Amino acid sequence: MQNEIIFAILALLTIVSSIVMISAHRPIDSALAFIVALICIAALFGLVNATFMFVVQIIIYAGAILSLILFIIMFLNIKDENLPDEKNKNWWLLGTSFIVAPFGLILIDLIIRSDITINRVPAEGFGNIKDVGLTLFSKWVLPFELVSILLLVALVGAVTLAKRES
Amino acid sequence: MLQEYMILSIILFCIGVVGLISRRNIIVIYMSIELLLNAVNLSLVAISADMADASAQVMSIIIIAIAASEAALFMSLFVVLFKKKSSLDANIFDMLGSKR
Amino acid sequence: MSDSLILNILLLSPLLSATLIFLLNISISGVKQYIYTSLALAGSGISALLALYLSYFSYFENQVFTSHLFTWLSIEDFIVEVALKADALSSFMILFIAPVSFLIHVYASGYMNKDKSYGRFFAYFNLFIFFMFLLVLADNPIIMFIGWEGVGLTSYALIGFYFEDIKNTYAGNKAFIANRVGDFGFLSALMLLFLEIGSGGMSFDAILSNIGQIEAPMLSLIAFLLFVGAMGKSAQIPLFVWLPDAMAGPTPVSALIHAATMVTAGVYMVARFAPLYNLTFDVSLFIAYIGAFSALFAAIVATRQFDIKKILAYSTMSQLGFMFMALGVGAYSTALFHMFTHAFFKALLFMGAGAIIVAFHHKQDIRELRGIKESMPALFVMILIATLTISAIPPLSAFFSKDAIMSALYASGHAPLFLMAFTASLLTVFYMFRLVFVVFYSNTKQVGEANSKSMLYPMTVLTIFSIFAGLLNMPEIFGGNLNMSNWLDIADKKFIVTHFDELMLMSINTLAIIGVIFYTYKRYAYTNTIDKESEHTLVANKFYIDEIYSAVVVKPLYALSILFDKHISNNLIDNTIHNLALYYEKLGLLFSGFENGNVRNYALYMLVGAVSGFIYLYVLLRAAL
Repeated sequence: MQNEIIFAILALLTIVSSIVMISAHRPIDSALAFIVALICIAALFGLVNATFMFVVQIIIYAGAILSLILFIIMFLNIKDENLPDEKNKNWWLLGTSFIVAPFGLILIDLIIRSDITINRVPAEGFGNIKDVGLTLFSKWVLPFELVSILLLVALVGAVTLAKRES
Repeated sequence: MLQEYMILSIILFCIGVVGLISRRNIIVIYMSIELLLNAVNLSLVAISADMADASAQVMSIIIIAIAASEAALFMSLFVVLFKKKSSLDANIFDMLGSKR
Repeated sequence: MSDSLILNILLLSPLLSATLIFLLNISISGVKQYIYTSLALAGSGISALLALYLSYFSYFENQVFTSHLFTWLSIEDFIVEVALKADALSSFMILFIAPVSFLIHVYASGYMNKDKSYGRFFAYFNLFIFFMFLLVLADNPIIMFIGWEGVGLTSYALIGFYFEDIKNTYAGNKAFIANRVGDFGFLSALMLLFLEIGSGGMSFDAILSNIGQIEAPMLSLIAFLLFVGAMGKSAQIPLFVWLPDAMAGPTPVSALIHAATMVTAGVYMVARFAPLYNLTFDVSLFIAYIGAFSALFAAIVATRQFDIKKILAYSTMSQLGFMFMALGVGAYSTALFHMFTHAFFKALLFMGAGAIIVAFHHKQDIRELRGIKESMPALFVMILIATLTISAIPPLSAFFSKDAIMSALYASGHAPLFLMAFTASLLTVFYMFRLVFVVFYSNTKQVGEANSKSMLYPMTVLTIFSIFAGLLNMPEIFGGNLNMSNWLDIADKKFIVTHFDELMLMSINTLAIIGVIFYTYKRYAYTNTIDKESEHTLVANKFYIDEIYSAVVVKPLYALSILFDKHISNNLIDNTIHNLALYYEKLGLLFSGFENGNVRNYALYMLVGAVSGFIYLYVLLRAAL
């Protein structure tokens, strides 16, 4: 029961902050709202005993990526006249919502109607760093290596992109 | 618990799509994309917990890694585009189209 | 050397030299003239030698040369072979075509000396004789038609050779278009032949052995259409109009086209289809009358022409008329024999005219060319011999050939034909001696430039041929045995003429000719009669045939074309297509609005599509859930 209440609060907080994120005028507001959403999602991970994921989410997303975004926003020194003039922003949001709504509603309807829960009892130490690490380096070695190459490529790409203009 | 997590994931995904399409600020668009990834991560972790199998968590770790490399590219793109046009308006960057 | 190789080399050497000359001419500027000359002479010289070799074996050993190059088309039972065949008739044709062409090449190297388009001229020239060889050596009428068209095309290029003057281009156009009318007839005849007996093969042998299967009316139609083709190429009424205008080309071109090659194609074709014409008497008679009218008409017109080349052009038409008369009454080998002698003396006459024209700086009017005898005695002798030959004075070659035609006409029993031929032959004497007496026998004197040796030597050779070519087909009456007719072995009709009749005919003819010569001498030599002749009479204006054609055929067609151009083409077709295009463009503009380069919008379209598909699937599968 306690878990359900925490889940409800966290879910509400996530949704609200996400909506704030997509509707805020200035990017700095969006970024701050997004941090809230990310931390809430990290807490939701913790709620299902995914402790390692909880840590990763906070360190990489809320820590690294979001601070990078904030750094860029500050670095570019964006003034109000640089921001796009979005007069019809709210109408756009409303209209798109109407288009997307059926998609979400149908999916939710399907989830509610179907019985997808297995409720297997997890073993001791599920979701901690040892469990995830063992899985990662036994079953998922190849994707792991591929991702390392991808990161290298992205690094080189980012450097060349930024460098060419100067 | 799984159903609730899935529903939340769907709602977050829809919000991300709405933001992606309706906003013109490229930083917000980027964050909307990140929100989509997070929504997927959320459902993966929930499934992992339900099945008591860490594989889905590994998947979301890989997704986070990909999101990180994406972030690096996006950041350098922001810098380049902003230097070029002094604007964050996605409508300005329409060189793909056939302008008449 | 194998038989087929000889034939192939004979055919392809002019093509090869034409190609080389052409490539040299377009790729390198300032090529030395002797390079072109040697290439052109090599191409035609090799053919001439091989042609002599070929006809030697054909004449003495009755050898038939064949060569199968490749199969062009093979559609079920319609098979077109690119094959050459030199039977007696083809060998006979190349026997005079190739050497005369070679001699004209030599002559042209002198005539065209220092011309700025020297290379282009010889490229066309060699290409022309290649097509001519293709025409006479073809084993089936389809390959023959390629040669036929090629000759028409290259003659167009040669007649309009000096294209800087628009008149020459018009003359070329006229020749080409008049020939197209004839080609239409030829092509239609080929199609009908294919429809009727195409399954038996399209080679000449197969066609001629199968013509018995065709019904009489269809056979007549085919024979007539083939003759329409011959009419165009051999300049007979009513398609002769191109021939006088074709004099716009350089004189060697006239000598080549009008003496030995292009105009003989029609005669050759009718002779080739001799078994067909033997079955269709009405068409044959029609041919004979067309020939008679052409001969008479051309002879009359020639008596009032003043341009030296025009006189010769009408004379060609007139002589061709004689040939068609002979063909029409079934004396095929006689017609071919006259074509053989005609090739020599007419080439000689044209070369002589060309030599005079070169010597006097392109003056062509006989009134301005008076009294040139002393300055060019050799030329005078040769032209006099050629004129005596065309007048059929014994024992020169044309005497035998023309006499053979006369006796065949006499024996065929068609009195009008004979009378017309007789009149035309006397008129021939008149206009030719008019030319000679006006130009050479005059009180005034002119001195022209000396002609180059390369022009005079070929003329000397041709003079010898003109004198002695008649020996080939000596009639029985003079102790000969009609060698040529026996060699050709064509389905001639046999005419029995008693020796008395034949001798009478010859004597009357010769006496009449001598009388006409005397009359002409009185009238034109050392007098000013020629200056009193008007240029504006009916005859001098060619009976206004050109003007009549213009009013009846050309102008209405032109008006019709303008109508189609302005109203049908521009308004109806162009506008419809234009509007259609405009409509599609508008439609495209409508859709191109979606493709605006804004990636967000692309995502929106994707989303709309995905959502619609999603809803559809949900509605579809709802019952199952």
